[in-house]
Amino acid sequence: MTSLRLSILSFVGLLAGTQGVFPAEPSPEGIAFFEKKIRPVLVERCYKCHSANSEKLRGGLQLDTREGIRKGGGSGHAVVPKNLEQSLLVEAIRYEDEDTAMPPKEKLPASVIADFEKWIMMGAPDPRDGSAVAEKPNWEKSKNHWAFKLPEQPARPKVKDNNWVRSDIDRFVLAEMDKQSLKPVGEADRRTLIRRLFFDLNGVPPQPKEVEAFVADKDPKAFEKLVDRLLASESFGERWGRHWLDVARYAESSGKEANLTYPHAWRYRDYVIDSFNADKPYNQFIREQIAGDLMPARDNQHRAELMTATGFLAIGPKSHNENNRLQFAVDLADEQIETTSRAILGLTIACARCHDHKFDPIPQREYYALAGIFFNTETQFGTVQGPGNRRSTPLVNLPAEATKNPGEVLTVSTRARLEKMLVDSKKELEELTAQARKERASGSGDVQRTFQRARAVSGRVNSITEKLSGYTAAGKSIPRAMGVSDRGFVRETRLLERGEIQQPGEKVPRGFVSIVNPDFRASFHRSGSGRRQMAEWLVSPGNPLTSRVIVNRIWHHLFGQGLVRSMDNFGSTGQAPSHPELLDHLALQFVDQNWSVKGMVRQIVLSSTYRMASDYDSANYNADPENHYLWRVSKRRLDAESIRDSILSVSGLLKWDRPRSSAVAKAGNGQVGRSRNIQIRTLMAPTDYRSVFLPIVRDLVPASLDLFDYAEPSLVTGKRDVTTVPSQALYLMNDAFVIRAADSMARRLFDEAPSGEERVDFAFKLAYGRTPTTNEKEKARQFFNSYQSISDTNNPEGKYNRGSAWSSFCQALLCSAEFRYLD
Amino acid sequence: MLKGVSSGFGYLALAGLCAEAAEQSPLAPKTPHFAPRAKRVIFLCMRGGPSHVDTFDYKPQLQIDEGKPGIGRRGSRSRAKLLGSPWEFARHGQNGLNISELFPNVAKHADKLCLLNGMHTDLPNHPQAFVKMHTGNSQFVRPSLGAWTLYGLGTENKNLPGFIVLSPQTGLGGAQNYGSSFLPAIYQATPIRGSSRGGSGQINNITNPRVSKEAQRIQLDLVQSLNQEQLKKDVVNPAVEGVIESFELAFRMQSEVPQLMDINKEPAAIRQAYGIGNRATESFGRQCLLARRMAEAGVRFIELNYGNWDQHRTLKTSLERNCGATDQPIAALLADLEKRDMLKDTLVMWGGEFGRTPHAQNGDGRDHNNKGYTMWMAGGGVKGGIAHGKTDEYGYAAVDGKMHIHDWHATVLHLLGLNHKKLTFNYAGRDFRLTDVHGNVAKEILA
Repeated sequence: MTSLRLSILSFVGLLAGTQGVFPAEPSPEGIAFFEKKIRPVLVERCYKCHSANSEKLRGGLQLDTREGIRKGGGSGHAVVPKNLEQSLLVEAIRYEDEDTAMPPKEKLPASVIADFEKWIMMGAPDPRDGSAVAEKPNWEKSKNHWAFKLPEQPARPKVKDNNWVRSDIDRFVLAEMDKQSLKPVGEADRRTLIRRLFFDLNGVPPQPKEVEAFVADKDPKAFEKLVDRLLASESFGERWGRHWLDVARYAESSGKEANLTYPHAWRYRDYVIDSFNADKPYNQFIREQIAGDLMPARDNQHRAELMTATGFLAIGPKSHNENNRLQFAVDLADEQIETTSRAILGLTIACARCHDHKFDPIPQREYYALAGIFFNTETQFGTVQGPGNRRSTPLVNLPAEATKNPGEVLTVSTRARLEKMLVDSKKELEELTAQARKERASGSGDVQRTFQRARAVSGRVNSITEKLSGYTAAGKSIPRAMGVSDRGFVRETRLLERGEIQQPGEKVPRGFVSIVNPDFRASFHRSGSGRRQMAEWLVSPGNPLTSRVIVNRIWHHLFGQGLVRSMDNFGSTGQAPSHPELLDHLALQFVDQNWSVKGMVRQIVLSSTYRMASDYDSANYNADPENHYLWRVSKRRLDAESIRDSILSVSGLLKWDRPRSSAVAKAGNGQVGRSRNIQIRTLMAPTDYRSVFLPIVRDLVPASLDLFDYAEPSLVTGKRDVTTVPSQALYLMNDAFVIRAADSMARRLFDEAPSGEERVDFAFKLAYGRTPTTNEKEKARQFFNSYQSISDTNNPEGKYNRGSAWSSFCQALLCSAEFRYLD
Repeated sequence: MLKGVSSGFGYLALAGLCAEAAEQSPLAPKTPHFAPRAKRVIFLCMRGGPSHVDTFDYKPQLQIDEGKPGIGRRGSRSRAKLLGSPWEFARHGQNGLNISELFPNVAKHADKLCLLNGMHTDLPNHPQAFVKMHTGNSQFVRPSLGAWTLYGLGTENKNLPGFIVLSPQTGLGGAQNYGSSFLPAIYQATPIRGSSRGGSGQINNITNPRVSKEAQRIQLDLVQSLNQEQLKKDVVNPAVEGVIESFELAFRMQSEVPQLMDINKEPAAIRQAYGIGNRATESFGRQCLLARRMAEAGVRFIELNYGNWDQHRTLKTSLERNCGATDQPIAALLADLEKRDMLKDTLVMWGGEFGRTPHAQNGDGRDHNNKGYTMWMAGGGVKGGIAHGKTDEYGYAAVDGKMHIHDWHATVLHLLGLNHKKLTFNYAGRDFRLTDVHGNVAKEILA
């Protein structure tokens, strides 16, 4: 806090690749002189009119910072080190000119004037930091930041080789390559392309038959046909919906200290998947997540969809054990602002909670203007009171029979079990309460402990009651969701000084962040939160960020790198786009084409840029090793879901359908963890559904995903890490899941190929979409020979049996780099 | 000698595949630039910004002026009021180092400590400062201190990762803090997640439930020959090299890790000394004991994590809890290393991404302060029992013996026998180093 200005200076220095922006250090003696002789006088006699805290800054002169005193006011430099003639301050305090004589009422004593002269001749040593601008970071530069300006349609650039150009995308990319003297590598072959398309669009590898059919397809439109087929597949939503779930910090528990389950969060997950499959216009998708509950619905089914959408605002990490209701509300709104602004705008607005944003022109006031909208929103996240939970709310009730996924069914036997448990628990609770009363009265026993036990049992009672209330008498699920609603009246919002709830400041009317979409006008009603207006602000044409941020996300998922590499930070501390014109072109086109995500994906994958090979080229590589300018398609490691889904797919284990809910929904409400009522082991029971359907409990992400750099579910994650560590190798070599898949894959080889050689061929086709080279065949042969020589249990050419060489062989393919890297 | 070049024709492409490949592996021990004072590092990373004025930077004037206006961002009077430390400080050790009562056990080792009271860094924001502390650069993805160390020195035990991080952060830059960036992938840290973060506090899958070592080696040979084919095809592909190396290492780890991680083998007295078995100190005690075992086993760079030290409010209870959870384990680690005669060449470092303001926030809390804070070092060639550098009378800003994160990095490398200006890696057409164009070794603290 004390060093804001310096931080900005040094930061700008970093950006410019220069250093030395720190002023030269004054000597300790000089500082001592200043502190003793100069500062007290300035404070006593000058600051009233010439400091950041002056009611009215006189003559534009600010003397309470080094920068201010050197710069001076309207008439010129107040202090020029070692130059009395040019230091206007000296002229003023000497009373040389009637008009400028200072301080106005009384001349300073001669000795003090002499001190000032001496100090200036010493070089005016001055330890005070800070800018001359009163209590405002210097935003002049960041106001002109590229991302705050509306995208403009750039002229289509000329390129050297028009033959390479299939679309405008290629033109922009090639023009940049021309500038950098780079040459695009050739087009990838069909085997590579189909594999790339399958993973990028559907998140799974193509089946061997599909590869052969595509390779053999003579139709000049073969590529387009394949793209359209993959865009139409349900798997598209499962992959692209997951990308959005990364930025929506989707999870099914609260995280933080208590880690309470959110058994209804999965409905939001399904909503996202369905939205991507329906190619819902992105602006509509955003509107629904911010204000779906306030939008008109066509019918009950649509109503359910719109209400589920607002789960976006409800599923964030929360401290349910927070004692202070107000603190909880403020933290909740802050999390909503943080997620909304980073996910949709690529801005870190939440930085302005305690003070004006240090880098981007976002005043603290505007944070509270935005917060006023969320403060006036009821967030309905459910959960039940009990140990670790002081904050629970009702859920959003969805119209009956209106959800696409009916959810779990409560069997008669489960109901009976739960009801019995409920009766028992209630009885236990009564006993404990009686015991506590007795202990308190008699002073014997451990009241605290009894009370804690009672609290745990009461949590269990609440949790079972909640679970039973979720089903009809016939055992059908009564659909409920996490979401938000308006409460029908509005409370005024006050700015909180330094973000502290004990320090309410001025009233702040609801509104938006003005640097984004400054011309947007909205009127707020006394009855509504203003989320509807907020949604429009986010997606209206005057917003320069929303469209750019999403096309950049799409680009990132198709190339492994964004045009802007700081995916969630388009502010002034983010990175500049590698192809600014292309980014604007795509953003404008995206809006023009009704915000269609599938349309944008389609357009990009049909480009020559996307169809390039990933081949090495030494000249290009030496000039641009990170492939900033896209002279090839970068090799990428598959993400965690694709690795797991591939293992399941090639082994024939993958369950393609959608589960009825989630393991967390089945477990119900409670705390997750060792010695908690919800056991990790139950949640993590093996399942062969696609990875997007695995239970996502904060801080307890399944190992199969966590090891391969899954998105941290408490944070907005536009870009995942890619690590290569031995724990991944240990997982692939030793984990029961991988071994089971390898067994199954081996079984599949025996089912589909009669001879050993054909089985090797088929295994390669499954794992890599190609046949083995001669060299690889030889390696395979060597493998079987060696294996036979040491293992007494296997029987390489005979029938499959568990633990055989074939399983080991299949596992080797699953372990190899090629299996999880995409060309 | 240490100047590396990013090239696909690494040792792997040339060496072919044999068990001896490990000898030429990028993890093989290398000769440093000059005689090292420390052979390994244990970094006790305190995420969140621990308050220096309540722990290792005694500010009597702050006590006296408690309640007076603090200093605002521009050196102007702040509306927030100075908050004297609620804890008593006392002099400890032969040189009388001032340490607060929050660290009674660490204070017993005052003569081993080199307090760096003049630390400062660039930004008072957690993610930037945390990444800066780890990589020297908050703007771009760069190799971490541990990765540079491994690159410079290799590791002494080819059967274990050379860089291990316990309970790593997932936020604040996440894996970037432990990453290798443009350095070969094998130099990144192997994370071991604590049980509170979904891990088991163990390295999972360390044994195969079904096949013998011999059978697995045959399988691995096949995997690696497939990877070699891939590497040949790709010409330059550091990622595949990383995969190859990580599998070899994983294979070797299987024989050594189970014993390493089994702290139940330690005598009960030792476990107790580290605070294992006591709820408050259990978690960090385990980390510290594991760290000693890893250091003993030849791991080059070990990073432990504890947090959150971000006390914007409830300083009194929350800081006390954090110190209580770490004090005994840290003291035990220092004592244990000394007893085993390992402290002389093990550099133990403590600190977070910045410190906290002398003025109060939320009544009973402190805000971020990047201009002055404290880290400390012990062992590994640093002078013990000294306080190097200081902050102003309240603890706002470093005024003397100032040590920027770059200087800290330069000094750490120096202690390891590496010249931070010479430890370079050629990438994207130029030589990169951890300290970029900065960094001064704090000669004053060298023993």
